[in-house]
Amino acid sequence: MDALRTVTRDIDTNSTKISARGVQVHYGDTHAIKDVDVDIKERSVTAFIGPSGCGKSTFLRCINRMNDTIDICRVTGDIRIDGDDIYDRSIDPVQLRARVGMVFQKPNPFPKSIYDNVAYGPKIHGLARSRAEMDEIVERSLRRGAIWDEVKDRLHAPGTGLSGGQQQRLCIARAVATDPEVLLMDEPCSALDPIATAQIEELIDTLREKYTVVIVTHSMQQAARVSQKTAFFHLGNLVEYGDTDDIFTNPKDRRTESYISGRIG
Amino acid sequence: MTDIPSGSGAVARTTMDKVHGSLARRHRKQLILQIFGITAISLAFLMLFILLASLITTGHKAFTQTEITLEVFIDPEEISVERLPRGNFTNVLAAAVAADLPSVDQQDRAEMRVVGGILSNGAQFQLRDRVVEEPELIGQTITISVPVSDPYDQLHKDLLDRETPENLRRLDDTQIAYYDRLVENGAIAASLNTGLLTNADSRFPELAGLKGAIMGSFWALLTCFLISFPLGIGAAIYLEEFAPKNKLSDFIEVNINNLAAVPSVVFGLLALSVFIGLFGLPRSAPFVGGLTLALMTMPTIIIATRAALKAVPPSIREAALGLGASKQQVVFGHVVPLAMPGILTGTIIGLAQALGETAPLLLIGMNAFITSAPATPFDSATALPTQIFIWADSPERGFVSRTSAAILVLLTFLIMMNAIAIYLRSKFERKW
Repeated sequence: MDALRTVTRDIDTNSTKISARGVQVHYGDTHAIKDVDVDIKERSVTAFIGPSGCGKSTFLRCINRMNDTIDICRVTGDIRIDGDDIYDRSIDPVQLRARVGMVFQKPNPFPKSIYDNVAYGPKIHGLARSRAEMDEIVERSLRRGAIWDEVKDRLHAPGTGLSGGQQQRLCIARAVATDPEVLLMDEPCSALDPIATAQIEELIDTLREKYTVVIVTHSMQQAARVSQKTAFFHLGNLVEYGDTDDIFTNPKDRRTESYISGRIG
Repeated sequence: MTDIPSGSGAVARTTMDKVHGSLARRHRKQLILQIFGITAISLAFLMLFILLASLITTGHKAFTQTEITLEVFIDPEEISVERLPRGNFTNVLAAAVAADLPSVDQQDRAEMRVVGGILSNGAQFQLRDRVVEEPELIGQTITISVPVSDPYDQLHKDLLDRETPENLRRLDDTQIAYYDRLVENGAIAASLNTGLLTNADSRFPELAGLKGAIMGSFWALLTCFLISFPLGIGAAIYLEEFAPKNKLSDFIEVNINNLAAVPSVVFGLLALSVFIGLFGLPRSAPFVGGLTLALMTMPTIIIATRAALKAVPPSIREAALGLGASKQQVVFGHVVPLAMPGILTGTIIGLAQALGETAPLLLIGMNAFITSAPATPFDSATALPTQIFIWADSPERGFVSRTSAAILVLLTFLIMMNAIAIYLRSKFERKW
């Protein structure tokens, strides 16, 4: 798997950002996540891999409580960010989601201008006191989303008019505009062509300087390219979690080995 | 493929042969479907054409009105400033007509009555209003155009057959002779019937207009809109976005769907017993009509709004939620604005339906005979469909063409409303 390596990965710090203990998720009668324990390091990229329906996206959506919006979904267990229990009664999911941004599988810009897309998060949270401050936030976010140069002349054109890859970078810019600590990405490249994918992957690598990134991906190559830590999910279980190098070169579990060598999936 | 065991014909059938064999059948099925579709659409268009053609052939005559132009000497002996607005305007007008008819003996009161009957009953009021406005006209001669009465209007529009025996005709030979003489003088001409839209209802077809009905429909629809639009959208947003999904919300949903299917006459009876009987609201008032129509329109708006809200892609909700928007911010900042074209279309279609609704308005008395347009929603009035109902029921010949004309006016309003709905839908249509 060494051939897949393009990024040297050193975890910048050793502090744990997100820690999950005994997380269980039920969708009605379906037991989607079974007793998952995981510690995600700060300012690193952690990839969740596994076959379709293994629960990796479900677990990702537990981290910003997006599962709350599904009536039949029940989450138990303990998830902490910086030691705060995010399912505590005193935590408002609205506040949590300002702290934990999310990028979705399909680019989903609002049918508004590029500027308004990025400004929406800061606006609802009241992060900018003046128009000038908002302009600054928008520019900084679009630069972080590596799309500023492409859109700076048409900030008031509709965001839906951009290409797929540009839309996804706009969504990343929109997510970082509220200055979150954690960025969750749910298969952000699955709807994109290889060139757009490469641009996003490059962007993810720069994002980890500032954010803790958790990415769900179907592509093992992508996991190998962008992440420092990899978690392999299978049928709702976290089968193996460790340094990306180790998972791909020296898997300990037989199921992990089968998956990365293409026998299950 | 030569070793395929063959049946009777000994012909080897490859896959392509089988596909080829089924092609003809598939094409035939498609052709039949197309023929069915085209026939259905043609039939629908034919029916529409017949409806419009029959309405226009009978209705177009009501869009002109036969008028007589008279040189009227406002005789100070008949009309004096002191007695205004009273005065013998009928005599003054009859004298003016008789002046054009040399054969008439102006002293013969019976003959003068026949001559006066050429003019519409409303002519004297037109002259009176003019003189009241400018009393200095008394003693002068003025030129005035007034409508002729219904039989002469019918005669001018070739709706009265001169070949009918005299005793069966509405005008006898003398009257027709008067008419012919007046036409010869160039006094009688047909002009555009603006009275159809600017007059209120009247017993006399030549004076009857739709102003009262149009204003009545306007007030009723305004009331209906102001009540059903906010309530309907509010209910739909709550049910679709906020209400917990349980037995109670299922029950409410089933009942709203049922409400949309309740016959309109039932709503009329409900309005009669509740709004008029229990609350003591005035009878025949457009406000009550609007309340009744709101009851009927609300389910339509709720159903259309819920469908429009459901059609907003979940990805937009997720995007907003993921940024930390509250449920209320997601709904009012994103979902409702995106659903607005659908909501507006549904509302306009609901209102168009309400505009044509007759039965409930009959039950609350909006089919009364009212000769003035309502100034407020609480004045007695008719509505367009009930006015059509009244006119269709009237014996005077002149109302036949007016009924068709009123239907055409109603259809014009309906087409305009539907056109607005289509325009809004195409204007705000979005691509995700």
